Amino acid sequence: MFYEKETQLTEAPEWNQCPSANGTLPSCAPLAQSYVPYQEEEARKYDQREALAQGTLFPGLNLPFYKSIEGDPVPVTPLTELQALGFVLTELGLYLDSHPKDQEAFELFRQYAALEKQGKAEYEKKYGSLTQCNAAEHKQYEWVCGPWPWEIGGK
Amino acid sequence: MFVYEKRLMYPIHVKNPDPKLASLIISQYGGPDGELGASLRYLSQRFSMPYDKAKGMLTDIGTEELSHLEMVGTLVYQLTRNLSESQIKKAGFDAYFIDHTTGVYPTAASGFPWSASSIQVTGDPIADLTEDLAAEQKARLTYDNILRYCDDPDVKDVIRFLREREIVHFQRFGETLENVKEKLDHKNIYLYNPAFDRLKEQKD
Repeated sequence: MFYEKETQLTEAPEWNQCPSANGTLPSCAPLAQSYVPYQEEEARKYDQREALAQGTLFPGLNLPFYKSIEGDPVPVTPLTELQALGFVLTELGLYLDSHPKDQEAFELFRQYAALEKQGKAEYEKKYGSLTQCNAAEHKQYEWVCGPWPWEIGGK
Repeated sequence: MFVYEKRLMYPIHVKNPDPKLASLIISQYGGPDGELGASLRYLSQRFSMPYDKAKGMLTDIGTEELSHLEMVGTLVYQLTRNLSESQIKKAGFDAYFIDHTTGVYPTAASGFPWSASSIQVTGDPIADLTEDLAAEQKARLTYDNILRYCDDPDVKDVIRFLREREIVHFQRFGETLENVKEKLDHKNIYLYNPAFDRLKEQKD
């Protein structure tokens, strides 16, 4: 939605040339401690559907196992649309926990939060409440009505 | 506090039951490197974290792990539905069946029930976050090993998603560890335990 879908990078030499798959480390680092480079700001991002399918918003962090290289596209349904928006919020939320000063990421977080709020309200009207509290928005108490999420055809 | 949202984090629809596969995947529910241990480890470690960013990261990853626990339970539930007794015996699911029928119980694939001895809360931020980095790697390789035994695309897709989350979490715990190190004595990050020794009052 906000970012173009990016081709998945699966060959090691290409990762090494891709700045969004790399971070920075101190050039003269103290001994006897472990280091993980901070992810750079403005890293490339998938759109929300691709992010859900890949399990990450960031192409630079998409490092699959050889038995399952490609993430299959997720079928588009009202539920998966909501799951995709929710997923971007989860992923961006973790990113912001360690990069709270990245204003661009925070702006994106705000935009997705607004979309998710709107999407959730529309979903709940048609398919029932997602939280027990929101059951109050319906004429009857439908919270306990199935299918529950783990069931076939569940939410 | 926690509020339940009545949806899965990622869509799961397993068309073909496969009790043998369920008996392997159960390890990520209640095995030594599974999602139950992950959520309890992070949600418990956060209490002794002295810095705000680390408190936030452990809270948010620990919470995400609870939705992964629900996803793994869903896989086991859907893989074991509508089974006959002969299917159960043939698939080698009978040992699990004797104890739990087709209920979802937190146990390792090898039969060892979930144990808090598979996690640690040391009360030392560097040790805890280093354990968390290792924990994400151990969960990642368990998903790798599940992918070796899994041909069903409906299941593979979900395992692939969960595996990728371990890699993202590794990155975030690494950044959290960097943040903790920045707060400590630069010449010797092991000079004191900021969660216990009150040598310096530092804020995030």
